[in-house]
Amino acid sequence: MLEEEVRYFEEHLKDLLARSRGNFALVKGSRLVGTFDTQEEALEAGARAFGLESFLVRRVEEAPVAAYVPALTLGLLRAGS
Amino acid sequence: MPVLNIQFGGQTKSADGSVVDIPPAFALAQRGPCVQVLLGVAQPIARQLLQQGKTLPQPVSGLALIDTGASTTCIDEDAAMKLGLPVTNVVTVASASHSAAQGNVYPAQIEVIGLPIAINALNSIGAPLAAQGLIALLGRDVLQHCTVFFNGPAGSISFAL
Repeated sequence: MLEEEVRYFEEHLKDLLARSRGNFALVKGSRLVGTFDTQEEALEAGARAFGLESFLVRRVEEAPVAAYVPALTLGLLRAGS
Repeated sequence: MPVLNIQFGGQTKSADGSVVDIPPAFALAQRGPCVQVLLGVAQPIARQLLQQGKTLPQPVSGLALIDTGASTTCIDEDAAMKLGLPVTNVVTVASASHSAAQGNVYPAQIEVIGLPIAINALNSIGAPLAAQGLIALLGRDVLQHCTVFFNGPAGSISFAL
């Protein structure tokens, strides 16, 4: 999912960092729709333009922060079943 | 701040077929601290849909497990699809002992039934939770707004938002 958008974001990250570090980029397909101060603003702009279609909203930073969910990654939710 | 008190318990059948009460402490330990929630479209998306005259998808209800071990809230992938939530990011779900996996991110709104406030969980990760009888894992991104008291001996939790 969002392969094209993620590829675009990663290929243009250097430029994005120079112009909009810490902001949120809104990408659809291979097009940067805009950058926004907050995630809420980026999501609103995405929904305004694309409704419930998928689009990428990602913070402009060197490396995205990973999520830690041990219950999922360690299979703990299934331990008792 | 409104407080939701939940007393765990239940009944089961013994070997001879008679109905016996499950001790509250045991019920809480087995089930884990769960709250009933409504899962819906996050406010920034919902606002735009309403402005465009579109109808919002009906919220989906289910059990959410309070998971202080999770950095980020997860929602059931099937429920996210049923709601028609857009995928708005892809994240790496890291693990110290297993290879990392990718997860879809959905902008969801979570309303704890019994409390008058809903929380926007804009970075909810899709995961197959329905098989465990869950619709969500409430991670620390949501719990940072909450106060939770886990009373193991009494088999109860108090949840405030």
